[in-house]
Amino acid sequence: MFGLTLIAVFALGLAMFLTARNRAVALAGDAPQMLHSRPNYHGLLAFLMATVAGMAVLIVAWTLWGAWIESRFVAHILEAQPELSPIQFELVLSDARAIAEGGIASTTDALREQIATEIGGQTALHHYGTMILSLIAAALAGAWCLKSAHVGWRARNRSESIILRLLALMAVIAVATTAGIVLSLIFETLNFFNKIDWQVHKFLFGTTWSPLSGVQEGKLDADKVGAIPLFAGTLLITIIAMLVATPIGLFAAIYLSDFASARTRAWAKPMMEILAGIPTVVYGFFAAITLAPFLRNSGESIGLSIASESALAAGIVMGIMIIPFVSSLSDDVINAVPQSLRDGSYGLGATKAETIRQVVLPAALPGIVSAVLLGISRAVGETMIVVMAAGQGANLTANPLEAVTTVTVQIVMLITGDTEAATAAGPAFTLGFTLFCVTLLMNVVAQRIVRKYRELYD
Amino acid sequence: MLDDLRSMERVMANDDIKITAKGVDVYYGDNHAIKDVDVDIQNRAVTAFIGPSGCGKSTFLRCLNRMNDTIDICRVTGDMLLDGQDIYAKDVDPVQLRARVGMVFQKPNPFPKSIYDNVAYGPKIHGLAKNKAELDEIVEKSLRRAAIWDEVKDRLNEPGTGLSGGQQQRLCIGRAVATAPEVLLMDEPCSALDPIATAQVEELIDELRQDYTVVIVTHSMQQAARVSQKTAFFHLGNLVEYGDTEKIFTNPEDPRTESYITGRIG
Repeated sequence: MFGLTLIAVFALGLAMFLTARNRAVALAGDAPQMLHSRPNYHGLLAFLMATVAGMAVLIVAWTLWGAWIESRFVAHILEAQPELSPIQFELVLSDARAIAEGGIASTTDALREQIATEIGGQTALHHYGTMILSLIAAALAGAWCLKSAHVGWRARNRSESIILRLLALMAVIAVATTAGIVLSLIFETLNFFNKIDWQVHKFLFGTTWSPLSGVQEGKLDADKVGAIPLFAGTLLITIIAMLVATPIGLFAAIYLSDFASARTRAWAKPMMEILAGIPTVVYGFFAAITLAPFLRNSGESIGLSIASESALAAGIVMGIMIIPFVSSLSDDVINAVPQSLRDGSYGLGATKAETIRQVVLPAALPGIVSAVLLGISRAVGETMIVVMAAGQGANLTANPLEAVTTVTVQIVMLITGDTEAATAAGPAFTLGFTLFCVTLLMNVVAQRIVRKYRELYD
Repeated sequence: MLDDLRSMERVMANDDIKITAKGVDVYYGDNHAIKDVDVDIQNRAVTAFIGPSGCGKSTFLRCLNRMNDTIDICRVTGDMLLDGQDIYAKDVDPVQLRARVGMVFQKPNPFPKSIYDNVAYGPKIHGLAKNKAELDEIVEKSLRRAAIWDEVKDRLNEPGTGLSGGQQQRLCIGRAVATAPEVLLMDEPCSALDPIATAQVEELIDELRQDYTVVIVTHSMQQAARVSQKTAFFHLGNLVEYGDTEKIFTNPEDPRTESYITGRIG
């Protein structure tokens, strides 16, 4: 119904567009240059006014009216059975809805039947009412445009200012969503800390992670939410990944930007970027099915015992995944070092290697550092590869040949596990918030470095 | 125009030839940029290359230390002799050649390092100093040679990019001098500088000719007249006329040279 109304408002807007444009053409008569705004702007203004007014009324009326209906039913149920708990309350309401729509309810009683019939009528009224209201609003706004239009009517300026506001609104929505997510992370984190009696240090520095084993009466056992094994596992895998990605990515970038012929670059660069396009889930099962058994077998043949899920396998594959990020960003900054610096060095009799090592790389260093930092923040937040290849047990070890677990893996386990959401959400949100803080810090530092670097050469 | 000419002593330290070019042709892909150029560049003198934009003077200059090698599509034929030795011979290493034939560029291009490290860069890579004290000495001498020592002696550890344009260009000249080259090539060294900085650099060029062979490309005919002893006029890839600066500017033989210096072409 909501969607149908939207379409109706939109169609009305289109009709307004055509009418207003024709009216503008008629107003101008034989002297089209007399119009302040082109006929299309008259049409655009009518369209914008009608659709914006219609949609605004639709959204407001739909939500407010709906909330009002809801509150009336709540009052009704309370009156009939004041002893109900909130959960039973919700059950009654959803049962009544199911009956009204011809679905299956958990139980049927007089109260439910009664509410169901009321719901049917009220809902229809609600739906048709909002539709009519919004169409009226759209028509009124459009009609006002048609009535006000005259030769000097500033339709262009008005429609531009409406569009400007719409753009600003979209920007506000984007920012507000971000703020909302961050706020909910913070809120849930505080909630979680409350459940462990504000023993934050036990979360940050404890070494036993088994958050769901000590749940009782809404409280968590603070001794079992130590996240150090998770942080350590994340750190270990990130280090392995960066040990793989940094040298390969950086040296590939140096080769591509300063040594490779144009023809080599033409096919090698896109090939590297394909690496960035492979879904991480593919990397994940590559790590779990191909690399991990290979490592295990080769380890056995030289007398090393490597777990079938190991930090090493996950780290290596994650490093491969990050290569294109490091190489393509480094390539950009190395190319941004002006040719004049290279010429200056060659002109002093420096070789290509000396020039790259002593002039190009120092000049590009800030950019390279920020490329590596962005790579690290990718590695810290990466999920699929570690879920499949790193293991789930939270054991604290620095040995890359053993299974470790990461922050992201534990979030996945908590959310997809069969514990009820309210209990699992706390630790998951808190881990997520920690992760968010780390990656945010990393990105901010990287961007600062890049900005500082840009000031040097522009 | 001729009133501008500052009379200057055109005493040559000696008359021997440092660089000889014979039948040099340069191609950029299909573009024939330099056509059969013969020129003898005198030792310990300033030679100016003048000519309208795109005439090939910078291209020719870059042939003198094989900077064109870094451009893939560029091809050079003919003989180019430095002290009688063919610099395009197979056994000549362009890296060693460029240590003997230094270059200063149009835009000041100090490295993003400290002033000290900018100057020490060349001596370090060529192993000219045995220890820190010697290196310090080379840096000071080069900066004095480039007439910038007094301005930077208290801030040698600050970045070279923080200097003004004129100071940067003198730093680049000091950097080129530090590798103890025999020839200094300058590609429009003053085109990015204001008149005061230009005057300082010109004065410096005039001093440098006591020790070095200087070849300078310039757009400014006044500059050529002020600093050079020999002038070569390029037009459309041809070397039209080459001779003593005074003669080129007062009594040119070729009508094209006369048109250019009187401002009718270019």
